[in-house]
Amino acid sequence: MIFQKFYVALLYCEFLYVITALNLAYPIPPGRFKLSCMPPNTTDDTIRLPVGIPKNTSSLNGDYVAVETKFNWSVTYISKLSKTTFHCCFINEEGANYSTHADNMEGETLVSAVSSFVFQQLGANWNIQCWMKGDLKLFICYMEPLFKNPFKNSDLKVHLSYDPPEEIEDLPLPLQEDSFQTVQCSCSVQECCECHVPIPTARLNGTLLMYLKIASAGVTFQSPLMSVQPMHVVKPDPPLGLHMEITDDGNLKVSWYRPTLVPFPLQYQVKCLENSTSVREADKVISATSLLVGNVLPGSSYEVQVRAKRLDSSGIWSDWSSPRIFTTQDVIYFPPKILTSAGSNVSFHCIYKSEDKIVSSKKIVWWVNLAEKITESQYNIVSDHVSKVTFSNLRATKPRGNFTYDAVYCCNEHECHHRYAELYVIDVNINISCETDGYLTKMTCRWSAGTVQSLLGSTVQLRYHRSSLYCSASPSIHPISQHKDCILQRDGFYECIFQPIFLLSGYTMWIRINHSLGSLDSPPACVLPDSVVKPLPPSSVKSEITINSGLLKISWEKPLFPENNLQFQIRYGLSGKEIQWKVHEVYNPKSKSASLPVPDLCAVYAMQVRCKRLDGLGYWSNWSHPAYTVVRDIKAPTRGPEIWRITNGDITKKERNVTLLWKPLMKNDSLCSVKRYVVKHHTSHNGTWSEDVGNHTSFTFLWTEQAHTVTVLAINSIGASSANFNLTFSWPMTKVNAVQSLSAYPLSSSCVVLSWTLSPSDYNLMYLIIEWKNLNEDDDIKWLRIPSHVKKYYIHDHFIPIEEYQFSLYPIFVEGVGSPKIINGFTQGESQRSDAGLYITVPIIISSSVLLLGTLLISHQRMKKLFWEDVPNPKNCSWAQGLNFQKPETFEHLFTKHTGSVAFGPLLLEPETISEDISVDTSWKNKDEVVSATMVSLLLNTSDLEKTSICISEQCNCAKVSEAESSKVTYEHECQKQSSVKYATLVSNLKSNETNSEQGVVHSAASKCFSIKHSPLKDSSSNSSWDIETQALFLLPDQQPNMISPHLSCPGLDELLELQGIFPEENHSEKSVCYLGVTSIKEKESGVCLTNKSGVLCPFPAHCLLTDIRFLQDSCSCFVENNFSVGTCGNKTFVPYMPQFQSCSTHTSKIIENKMCNLTA
Amino acid sequence: MRWRPLCQLLCLWPYLSYVQPMPIQKVQDDTKTLIKTIVTRINDISHSQSVSSKQRVTGLDFIPGFHPILSLSKMDQTLAIYQQIFTSLPPHNMVQISNDLENLRDLVHLLASTKSCPLPQTSGLQKLENLDGVMEASLYSTEVVALSRLQGSLQDMLQQLDVGPGC
Repeated sequence: MIFQKFYVALLYCEFLYVITALNLAYPIPPGRFKLSCMPPNTTDDTIRLPVGIPKNTSSLNGDYVAVETKFNWSVTYISKLSKTTFHCCFINEEGANYSTHADNMEGETLVSAVSSFVFQQLGANWNIQCWMKGDLKLFICYMEPLFKNPFKNSDLKVHLSYDPPEEIEDLPLPLQEDSFQTVQCSCSVQECCECHVPIPTARLNGTLLMYLKIASAGVTFQSPLMSVQPMHVVKPDPPLGLHMEITDDGNLKVSWYRPTLVPFPLQYQVKCLENSTSVREADKVISATSLLVGNVLPGSSYEVQVRAKRLDSSGIWSDWSSPRIFTTQDVIYFPPKILTSAGSNVSFHCIYKSEDKIVSSKKIVWWVNLAEKITESQYNIVSDHVSKVTFSNLRATKPRGNFTYDAVYCCNEHECHHRYAELYVIDVNINISCETDGYLTKMTCRWSAGTVQSLLGSTVQLRYHRSSLYCSASPSIHPISQHKDCILQRDGFYECIFQPIFLLSGYTMWIRINHSLGSLDSPPACVLPDSVVKPLPPSSVKSEITINSGLLKISWEKPLFPENNLQFQIRYGLSGKEIQWKVHEVYNPKSKSASLPVPDLCAVYAMQVRCKRLDGLGYWSNWSHPAYTVVRDIKAPTRGPEIWRITNGDITKKERNVTLLWKPLMKNDSLCSVKRYVVKHHTSHNGTWSEDVGNHTSFTFLWTEQAHTVTVLAINSIGASSANFNLTFSWPMTKVNAVQSLSAYPLSSSCVVLSWTLSPSDYNLMYLIIEWKNLNEDDDIKWLRIPSHVKKYYIHDHFIPIEEYQFSLYPIFVEGVGSPKIINGFTQGESQRSDAGLYITVPIIISSSVLLLGTLLISHQRMKKLFWEDVPNPKNCSWAQGLNFQKPETFEHLFTKHTGSVAFGPLLLEPETISEDISVDTSWKNKDEVVSATMVSLLLNTSDLEKTSICISEQCNCAKVSEAESSKVTYEHECQKQSSVKYATLVSNLKSNETNSEQGVVHSAASKCFSIKHSPLKDSSSNSSWDIETQALFLLPDQQPNMISPHLSCPGLDELLELQGIFPEENHSEKSVCYLGVTSIKEKESGVCLTNKSGVLCPFPAHCLLTDIRFLQDSCSCFVENNFSVGTCGNKTFVPYMPQFQSCSTHTSKIIENKMCNLTA
Repeated sequence: MRWRPLCQLLCLWPYLSYVQPMPIQKVQDDTKTLIKTIVTRINDISHSQSVSSKQRVTGLDFIPGFHPILSLSKMDQTLAIYQQIFTSLPPHNMVQISNDLENLRDLVHLLASTKSCPLPQTSGLQKLENLDGVMEASLYSTEVVALSRLQGSLQDMLQQLDVGPGC
């Protein structure tokens, strides 16, 4: 049976052989095929089919045909080997039932017996695949052994002989061997060989003839002739740019780009692995470059590959593209981002996976910006796992910082994944305004991108569609539109220019916003260029004030375009920096001028004109260039000037010189200028005559007749004034007294009011003349014409109050000038001045008095209060025991009672008392000083030193130290400043300095202020106690009047002093106790110094208060020229020792000059 | 012949469908205004004023202007020729005039449609023979003569529009 089949195959091969003999080559299939070579004597039972060829199939179908070819030019024999002829056949791999013709083999060289034996036994088999490379430049044949051939790799040589492609119809018959070209194939170690044949692009559709020569082990195999059209076996390059995304519908969209350089359509095959296991979409062959994979699961990975092949199924599949993996998130939003316009409706879908389980859509809730929960009415359940939310009538997104979108969250009840969908809502209501220029050749459209610009990555462009005529009632976006380039201006507007234009074509425009998320269009607007014309302003604008009529006339020329009827607008106003415009409308399109009444005919008016279509379409033009009127005479002066006179000469004489005065006419009256004045006279004897006085404003004439009437006319280029003032000079009338009283009241330096009363008269009063002049200066008189009915008049002028003015009021009758009433104004100037001074002084005095009184009262009350508040507890204060503080009769009683028993004690002091310590820190430098010091020491180191009371007033410039016979020393000095220390227990902690040194300094640590410098006590202190270490002095400057504080001693204070060891034992006997004095300002004269010995109050020098005692030279007013100079320390700070004390600082006073007590005297 | 009204309706359909109902008076007014505008544009071209009307220029007979324009159809034909001429002229102000002529033709069409006049079939107007050659040889003459004759034709049309032109 097998033999039968083989014979059938052999017959088929013979058939092919015959075909080949007829120059029919083996057509190379797109896929693999096999080349099998075997000796003919193995066609019996020993022949073996190539591995991989299903025997049953080939035999059953009877397609296995081997054809032996014996070309004339390639007759081969294996004569040298064994004279065996190898038959080579092509076997289609895919069909496995299709064979090719056979070929012969020729042995040209010696081979080993073994090899030849093997060949003879097994034959040789190869898998071959040929294709045209994707770049369409190279034809490749790849062959690999079907099984291990007994070749030595080094011996394997493969050559491909080919005839360059020709059209099949043009195949030359018979074929010529020398028309073939040969290329050597490169073989690898695995005996795989690849042959490259360059194919010209122009011959891709031609037929390529070729055959293979395989030489190894001395045996050369030659394949049958093969033919192929390269374009039919193209193997494209793999598709490029494979990428995936979740579509708005929730599908996985796999997209790729077709390989380049392929001039024919392709089909594609996609291989998609879900989570690396299940294969999806593997068998789909599509022609599009994208594929939708549905039912995408969240949290899954999708590995996708794609390959390509010619759409007509010819050719070879390309290699698979590189795998691309796409992993879906746990929450899938589709669409993940939406760009939409305000007012629209959008929906988001969501699949939520939580903890490896897809959440039921019923549990899904939606939030916006993690801040606002969306109402459930907006939810929709699409499926078990897909939830949908719909937003209706959206508002534009307000940027929040850098975020220009709303974040939409799909949440599992109370759990929201951090991923969100982005919702961009843009307000696309962009207003496009257009304007056609005055020449009707250009239309400029402007629009502002506004909020659209906040959308990053977006571009905007204006698109338009032009209709042939007019606009549609409801403009819509036309599918065919054009793009217009627009330029962004500095003001943020885009400007697009259409030029030339179709005046009556409707331009439907809209703004397209392009973004990666899509594009949005603004609502379209249709503009008709003819209806948005902004005309040119009217030209040839002229203006004038018309003569006689006195109207402001303006004329203009309408612009060339548009030809429509126009309306005009005129604005005019007085020329100046800020013109107050008035507007006048002209609706007559044929008007070229307009006349307007203006109040001031003699002013310069500025005016402009603009125009607009009468039907209201379009815009107003710009204002024309301003035109200005020229001031000129419009009319004759409305009236003559007001006149008055000055009469000179003896009033008793019959002839008097009269000087007429008049004021130049203002423009409002002269309209608008006066060229000259004419004085018109009228007398009963001489009649009427005129005199031209030119531009002068005064004229003198001789008044000789009983009555002389004059009139002054103003004349300009138009004519003479019609209404003029007459003035009649009549001798009788000068005696008519019509003014009963006249008084003048100055209101200010620029205004004086005059009031008068008139007595009834038989004459016709025309008006009044007020005349005034400064009597102290030679000023000209000033005058005013007042209507006759006025009874009071405010004269505005520059008046000097201290000057005297004369005011006169003349009644002017028709019959002549009446007798005036004359008064002198400001005659009470001095009294008024004194009154004015009184007005100022009296209030000051009164207020000062009140203030002083109040101060005294307050001070008195305060002193009393403080005094009684500071009354010590008699139980704790020895000195106070037995005193009745409730009703002290006098201060003396209060203080003198215990003065003798008090050595130290707290003081009941008013505020601002001072305690000071005295220290001596400067030595005397000359003998005189020493002498003085000695004298002082004699004074102060008496045995009664302790008993000596030294009263020092703080801050005195000078102190007089006097010694009384009763060893009382008082210091008188001028107090300059109040102390700020209430009271203190002086704890003198003077350190014992080296008293034998010249500069021995005695310090009081308890008080900083009681220092003694250059003390004269230095030398004498060896036997005396002017070693002030233990001295304690109270400085009690007075502050409150009528109050004297006693120097007090409290037991507690003594104990304190002892505990602190302030007073050394050796000087204990020389303690100098504090000595205080309290006085008041008022009682400085009667100030007293209280001694602890006498227990009586010493009289105090004036302005002196016992506060401190100093023997200073530099800072205190101590001794000057051998005088004891007692003063106050400068810049000493008084440290309070008791709670009641206040710290204070005093300023160094000047050395008391000539006010010191000369203790030596 | 029975198809002719239908064809006219179909040809008018773009206007009827797109353009909102336009009062005939407004269309007439716009037509007149546009004619005046074109005349003013021509007047505004300086060299068009310098052509003497006494001299007759020969060789430019293809430019209409000698015969009165009595009908809308004739208006459209005349305007079409002028539009073709001005479109061929080098860009100057002529582009705007050419656009105006196109608008004017559309208005004439609209007027014709409102009067149920057969629409002038000028879209397939034959291209003027040897226009390019004449342009190349005598551009100035062509321009000034065309402007001058167009001005006259437009004024003629203006008068006819006042009278009420026939189809």
